[in-house]
Formats: sequence, C-alpha cells, structure tokens
Amino acid sequence: MSNPNDPGLPPNDPPPNGGPRNGGRYGKPAYRTGAARSDAVPMMEYSRVTEADLKGRAVMEKAGLRLVVAAGGFSALFGAVLIRLAMVTIVSPATPHRIDRPVAEIVAAAPHTPVDSTLPGQRAMITDRNGQPMAISLNTVSLFADPAMIGDADDTARQLKQILPRLDLEDTADRLKRTKRFIYLAREITPREELAINNLGIPGIDFRPTQHRQYPLGRTAAQVLGGVNVEETGFAGVEKSFDERLRTNTDPLRLSIDLQVQAAVREELVTAMTTFEAIGGCGIVMDVHTGEVLAMVSLPDYDANTVRSSPGDDRLNRAVGATYEPGSTFKLQTASMALDSGVAHIWDQFDASHNISIGRFTISDFEGKHRWLYLPEVLAYSSNLGAAHIAQAMGSERQRAWLKGMGMFERTGIELPESARPQVQPAANWKEIVTLTVGFGHGISVTPLHVVRGTAAVANGGILLRPTILALEPGEQPEGVRVMQPSTSDIMRRLMRLVVTDGFGKTAEVAGYYPGGKTGTAEKVAAHGGYKKHTNVAAFMSVFPMNAPRYAVYMMLDEPHATKATFGYATAGWVIAPAAGKVIARIGPMLGMLPDIKDVVAINQSLAIPLQPGRPPGAPARGPGGATIEAAAKVATAPATPASPPRPNLTVPAIMLPPAMSRPSPNIRRETNQQTPMPPGSGTVRVLAVSAASSNAAR
Amino acid sequence: MAVLSRTDDSLLGRWFYSVDRWTLGAIGTLIGCGYVLMLAASPAVAERIGATREMFILKQVVFLALAAVIVVSVSMLSPRDIKRLAIAGCLIALAMTAATMVIGMEIKGARRWISLPGMSVQPSEFLKPCFAVTAAWLLSEGKKSPRFPGMILACCVCALILGLLKAQPDIGMLAVVTVVFLAQLYIAGLPLTLVAIGMGLIAGAAVLAYTFMPHVHKRFDGYWKGEGDHYQIDRALEAFGNGGFMGRGAGEGHVKDILPDAHADFVFAVAGEEFGMVICVFILFLFAFIVLRGLLKLLKEQDLFIVLSCTGLVTGFGLQAFVNMASTLGLIPTKGMTLPFISYGGSSVVAVALGMGMLLALTRRRGREEPA
Repeated sequence: MSNPNDPGLPPNDPPPNGGPRNGGRYGKPAYRTGAARSDAVPMMEYSRVTEADLKGRAVMEKAGLRLVVAAGGFSALFGAVLIRLAMVTIVSPATPHRIDRPVAEIVAAAPHTPVDSTLPGQRAMITDRNGQPMAISLNTVSLFADPAMIGDADDTARQLKQILPRLDLEDTADRLKRTKRFIYLAREITPREELAINNLGIPGIDFRPTQHRQYPLGRTAAQVLGGVNVEETGFAGVEKSFDERLRTNTDPLRLSIDLQVQAAVREELVTAMTTFEAIGGCGIVMDVHTGEVLAMVSLPDYDANTVRSSPGDDRLNRAVGATYEPGSTFKLQTASMALDSGVAHIWDQFDASHNISIGRFTISDFEGKHRWLYLPEVLAYSSNLGAAHIAQAMGSERQRAWLKGMGMFERTGIELPESARPQVQPAANWKEIVTLTVGFGHGISVTPLHVVRGTAAVANGGILLRPTILALEPGEQPEGVRVMQPSTSDIMRRLMRLVVTDGFGKTAEVAGYYPGGKTGTAEKVAAHGGYKKHTNVAAFMSVFPMNAPRYAVYMMLDEPHATKATFGYATAGWVIAPAAGKVIARIGPMLGMLPDIKDVVAINQSLAIPLQPGRPPGAPARGPGGATIEAAAKVATAPATPASPPRPNLTVPAIMLPPAMSRPSPNIRRETNQQTPMPPGSGTVRVLAVSAASSNAAR
Repeated sequence: MAVLSRTDDSLLGRWFYSVDRWTLGAIGTLIGCGYVLMLAASPAVAERIGATREMFILKQVVFLALAAVIVVSVSMLSPRDIKRLAIAGCLIALAMTAATMVIGMEIKGARRWISLPGMSVQPSEFLKPCFAVTAAWLLSEGKKSPRFPGMILACCVCALILGLLKAQPDIGMLAVVTVVFLAQLYIAGLPLTLVAIGMGLIAGAAVLAYTFMPHVHKRFDGYWKGEGDHYQIDRALEAFGNGGFMGRGAGEGHVKDILPDAHADFVFAVAGEEFGMVICVFILFLFAFIVLRGLLKLLKEQDLFIVLSCTGLVTGFGLQAFVNMASTLGLIPTKGMTLPFISYGGSSVVAVALGMGMLLALTRRRGREEPA
C-alpha cells in the first residue's frame, strides 16, 4: 500500500495518504503504544506532504462532511419512527379490534347463506336449525361391467385388482363370467382410480355416476338421521320419513335439532352413563311452546356413516322407539288431572302412612314419610301412596279420558318412522289396581317423548302440541289442543319448581334458570312379566325456567348402577337429575337465555308454594273423601285409626329439609315375583308397584 | 470488567480494551431484547402452525447464542483479515445466491432460500455485509492507485448482485443493497451532480417497478390509497394502540395470535402491545445509537477503506431496522424485512451478527504498527 510515486520513502514512514494513524494531531507528539511519555517522539520529521497526500486529505475532509449529512439523514429517519410511534401508541391509539357484541348477535349478523352444494338430481342436504350440514350427498362413480363384452375375465379381474386392491380377485372373476349384461364391481371410485381404470382400455368396463351419503358429524344425532341403502333410499330416521321430499326437492331440509344443544346433551349423558355404568340412556330437549325437538340423544349410538353395519341395539332410538314405564314422572299427570278436574285441592292430604294392599299386590313408598301428606308433598317426596290415592279419587274413567287427551294412548306424531305406540291396558282390563298404579306411572309404557310432550303441556299453560323434528319458520305457532285450564298449569309449575327446591330433584338446581321437574325411577319389567330386582330406569323430567317455561329437558338412564358417591342409590335424584342440571346450565346460554340472578328473590317468590298449604275456611279437613279412600284400600295395618290420624304439627322449613334421599330407610324393600299370593292384611312383605298390567306388558 | 487488567497483553485483554465497548454493549442489549420478544411472540405462532410451543424459541436461542459468538470472534480479527473474510464471503454468497435460481426453495413465490439439512439459508442476507466491505475495498483501492479500476469493478459487482436479487425476486434486499452502495459512493466523494443522477435513477427504477411489477404496484396502491390488503398493518396498529405507553404486560397481547409473521416481520408490534411504547423507544434508541455512533466515530478515522466499509455496514444495518419499524408502523408500504437481532430467523441473525462483528473489528483502536 506504499505510494508508487514516492519510491524514496523511509521504511518507517507512515503511509502518506493516511497521516498519523494513532489519532494524534499534527504538531503534537504522538505516542507509541506502550512507550513512556518521556519517550515521546514527535512525528513531524517524518511527514512530507505530497500531492497524493493532499488529495487523500481532501477526500477524507469531504467524507467527514458527508458522514455528518448521512448521520443527519438517519436521525431524520429514526426521528420519524419515534414520532410515528408516539402517534400510534399515545396520541391517537387505534381502537383494538375487540368483540364488543354478544356472540349471538355476531352469529346472527354473519351471512347465513346455507351451503349451496346440492346439485339438481342430488339428494337434498339435511341441516340443523341453524343451517349446519348434518347429511350431504357427494357425487362419486361406481364401476360396472357388461360381462358379455369381457374377453378374458381372469385377466380383467387381475388388471382391476392392481388398481383397486380392495377387490376380491376370485369373486370379481366369477362375476365377470356371469351371463348378465350389467354387474356392479365396485362403488365409490376415486377420480384417480377412475382414470387409471380408463387407461386400461378394457371394453365392457364402464362407470356410472352415483351418490354417496355422508354424515359429517358421525355419531351426532345418528338415530335421528337414520340412513340410506345402497340405492340411496332412506330406510330409517329422517332419511326415511322425508325420503320423497329429499329426492324431489334439492333445498336443504332444515331439522329442528340444534347441534350445539345436541352435543351438550350427548356429552352430559355419556358422562352420566359412564359414571353409573348404565346400559343405555336418552335425552330430549323440546321447545314447550312449539313442540320443536332441539336435541334427541339415544345411547349407545354409532357413527351414522356406518349405519348399515351397526348393531340393532345401537340403532334403537330410545327417545321415540322404545317404551318404558314412566314411573314417578307420571305423577305430574296425576296431580294435573286431579287439580284440573277439582277432584283434589292443593291443601288436600293423602294417606301415606300405610301401604295399600289390593288383591295380591301391595303399594308402598320409597323413602316413605309414614304420615298423611299434603298434595305438594306427594310430588316433592314422590309418594306412590299419595299418587295412588289421588288416582283412586279420579277414577278410571276420568283417568283414561285425561291420558287419552294427553296423547298417551297414541303415537306422538313426530315425523320419525321409529316412533312407537304406547303399551296400554285395554279399557276392559283397566281395573282399580291399574288405576292406582298408573297414578304413579306403572302399568303403562310410553316412549320418553310422550312424557316430554305431556309435561310440556302441563308447563306451557295447558296446550298439547305435536312434537316435530322439523324447524318451524320464525314466528310460526303450531296449532295445539287445550288440555287443561291455565290456572292448573300455573299451580303445576309451582309444584314442579318445589320438587327442585325442596324435594327429590334438588340436585338439578341451576342458579338463575329456575328449573322445575320430577324424578322418576321405575323398576324394569322382566321379559316374562314381573319386575326385575335392582334394575331400574332413572329419569328426570324438567322444564326451565319455571317462571316463564321455554324448554323441556328429559334425561334418562337405563339400568344405572349406584356408586359410592351416591351412597348406594341408583335412583333418579342421584344419578340423572345432576346431569339434567348440567344440561340446563350449558344449553341456556346457547339458546340465548342468560341466568337471571338479579331477580332471584322476586322470581322465587312468584313460584313459591308451601309444602303444607293452609286450608281455606270451610274446606274439608282431609283429602277428597279421605274416608272413602281408606275404606276402599285395604290398609295394611288394620288397627290404624282413620278418624284421627296424627296430624303433622311440625312444619319443617324448606331450607332445613335433608337433601333428597340422603337417609336410607331400613323398611323399604322390594320383593317381586312373589310366588304365594299375599293374604290381605299381612304387612310383613311389601311389594312395590307390581301391577296386573306388568305381566301383560311383557316385551 | 475488573478481571481484565489494563496491562493484560493477552488476545482477550487487547481485544477488550481496543473494541468499541459502547457499541458492543448496545448489540448485546439488542440480543437480550431478541430473546425476550421471542419468548413473547413465538409460542402463539408455533401453536398456530401446529408445531410445539418451544420450537421457535429453542431454535432462536441457538441462533442468538451463535450470533453473540460471531460478533465477538469476528470483532477480534484485524482489518486485513476482515477484508479477506469479506471478499471470500462475498464470492461464496454470490455463488450461492446464483444457485438459488437452480436449487432454491420457492416460498410465497420467491426463490431466496437454499435448503440445508436442519435449516434453510438465505444467502443474500450474507451478501449484504460482505458486499459492503468488498465495495469499500474496491473504492478505496481505486482512490489510492489510479490504475486500479475500483469504481468500475464495484459498479459491476453491484450490478451483478442487483440482477440476481431482481431475478429471485427480492425487491427489499435489492433496495437496501442499492442504497448502501450509493451511500458508500456518496461518502467516497462522488460529485454532487452524479449523486443527483443516481437519485434520479432510483426514482426512475421505482416508477418502472411500480409500472411493470404487479405485486409492487398492488402493495404501493394498497398503502397510498388505503385500499387492498392492509389487514396486517391494521392489526399491527391496533396492537400499538392497545399497548399504549406501558404495554399490556408480558403475554397479554393478542396480535401474535392473529398475524402470521408476528415472530418475524411484525415482532415490533408484539413488543409494542405487550411492553408498550417504552420498550419500542428503547429498541429504537439502541439502533439509532449504534448507527449514529458508528457514523460519527468515523469522523476521526483517516483510513478511507475503514470509513467506507463501516459506512456500508452501519447504513445497511440502520436501513434494515428503519424499514422494518417504519413498515410495521404503517409509515411506509409493507416490505418483508427483519428487525436485526429481534426478529426470528437464523440467516438474518447470523448475517447481521457477521456485519456487526466486522464493524467492531474495523473500529477497534489500533496502534501505528497495525495497518488497516
């Protein structure tokens, strides 16, 4: 790097273009690194200013000036960033993009055009009430052959097998040798496979466009959807009942099902079923004002896409296709009919102190109070004896008329082919014992949907509606039949609420939703009559909110088993009422209802009804003709004094009542299939609710 | 640093007392900020693309550690070694950039990456510092010996690089390389008329790019007329607004859940949302400090090669930081460019570290007997 123009430079000289490199200025001593100050040697003597040197200095001077300009430029750039930073963070910050509307509004505002994927000729899509697809048809291609045009069947089969490994070589070859003119070889060929087969160029092999029904949600509402056979014809569920409609009209078929609600119900039911090792279960959510079914779950279930190979038990839709004895949930009907017809009053009392023996049957209470019960107590403590007495007071004629009016003798009318007919005693066999047992839900078998429908009518002001699986247009109000006075419905709402606040349904309470309901634990009828020991059907029939009923929620477990957490009880209040509560808590917000905690006092006040209501002046002291009942019923313990039974003088405050079924009662036992007929008056063996009907109701 | 005595004559001792410790400290602080912001921004991004939450963090920890090692070890080299390193690096990077045309991976329509086992490398990132030093050498040598056609050679190399970057295409990198080279020419004493002509050429090129390159056209229109896709910028500005002066607090931001490049190009917005204007100003201050100190320190420098190469390195560094911050703030049209040491990206971090290492090596205090 020495200057070629200056050959005479001493070797120690600093390069002339650089000047002193140690930062020293001209005319001042510069120091060698490490040298003592006294050893400082001025460098002046070495510096000779050459032309190149001057040029170099000029360059550096210019460079220095321009460096300052560059630094200034950068200062401006960074300054701009700083100002901008202050603008966007402090001076005028952009409003963050936040959800400031309820989710329901956003969903409503979002463009809700249903997926227009159905082509002419295709089977129509099935959607839920919000337009979510539940069943869609995909175009696929089927492979068929004309055996008459096939030359070498074995070779053809081998070639096809290479492209479609799922083919069975021998079977395909055999089929290709048949004398028919048209045989299917494979269905649902992919485009890639189609191209490869086409490229084989085998004459007599051809494709036919077909459809494939797909259920994108798998197990969700599988029994409701049903399925189609290979010819794309519905053979079960909605696919069957609306088969014609789905073929001819490509508009999506909108069901009343809400998939979110359906999923929540299924999840809670699966949890309960697993916890209590039940063999099955079902859940229904229905709009009590329109009869629209928002959720219908039946367990065990199956993937709807494999419907054709699923076991029949999984395919059974327990909500509509199976009948069960409704058990205590039917006491709502008994109470309604008695109140509506004026046979009983809210302040009437019924004898639950003694078991009823009729013929060879004895009716007893589970968790009995062994005293006279007021009508609200009959429901709250689910007294079979009380309900039987009420039914007895009604009489079989009026009872049958009421139940017929409530649709308990016919199919519910829901548009599902599986919908089952109830199993009811014919009028000729409707003896007194039947009247009594039907009073608490035994000796009659109905589908869960019957119970839901009847309870909806009890809660909605007294209008019986036809349940439907199709979504109604907004604002559409279906025709209903008035089956009771609004005043009766009003009392019944309070009574249903009472069951949850003070009775056996406490575990279903959900703050802010004011659910009301009725537990129901029915022993199962054995295959050859009689009741099976320790196998029951536990159900909870609820409606919420009781101050302005909107939805009925029914949850049921088939053969639940007790756990430690339930203290050995497998009854509805323990195993299924909590699940119903969880469902209500989850679906309430989905259905646009927020819990109302603010008005809790006012609402509870409006729904309050005492367990032991006061008797208005002039009303008879006992139940409706209490003496008659006692005379008719063979009271187990004869020496009881009907004239003056000890009247309960202690009114337990509701809040201090023990939790439902927390005290095991030693004297409640069920003995069934009693071989020897019981002599009247022998109180030693108690038989719970063995009805004459049950032996006939063998299924 | 009491461990190193002033009279310590070891390699480390001499390095420590000759290196620009203020700049070194600023670089270290930036690397620290890089760690923190990677912890803040990257898990959300990693989760969104289906990787494990720690994937980006672990990688970047390695890269940042590697960057620190590179900064220190390169800064120990002598100016002559730097010159050799840069020329060799320039040739290799040039070859690899050319190779991207043939074996490069195509990401989002551009071929900038070469896939290596375990990572992918963007060779043009390394071209930037190496070319700055190489161009400085060519220009200063040209000034020294009139027979050496330094200026012409530098222009040729620059044209070659610009051609390659145009072909990739990588307009952002092209603009930075151009501006850095022009800055070097300017400092080297280019007559003002030529400076004006150069600026005219840039303007002309910009107009041409606007006219003939559809995505540049769209990008600019989107910025200028406020139409088109300004989703990312809007979200970034909301993030700054949400952060305010002190920020929402670590982990409390949500722009990282929305923006696909929250850990890379838009990391400044994450910083703004979670740590507020304070940390943004701090980062800005660090960049400005390194750039302005780098430039102003050169006023005392007498060696043209060192002046020019440092100018190139500092300009490239500062420009990259400016473009990233300004485009995140919506000050200029969006341009995919990383924030040095802060953004995620192996190539970027390592290349920037190389450049800063060179800067520190060239600005070390030298004795007389250590020629440039």
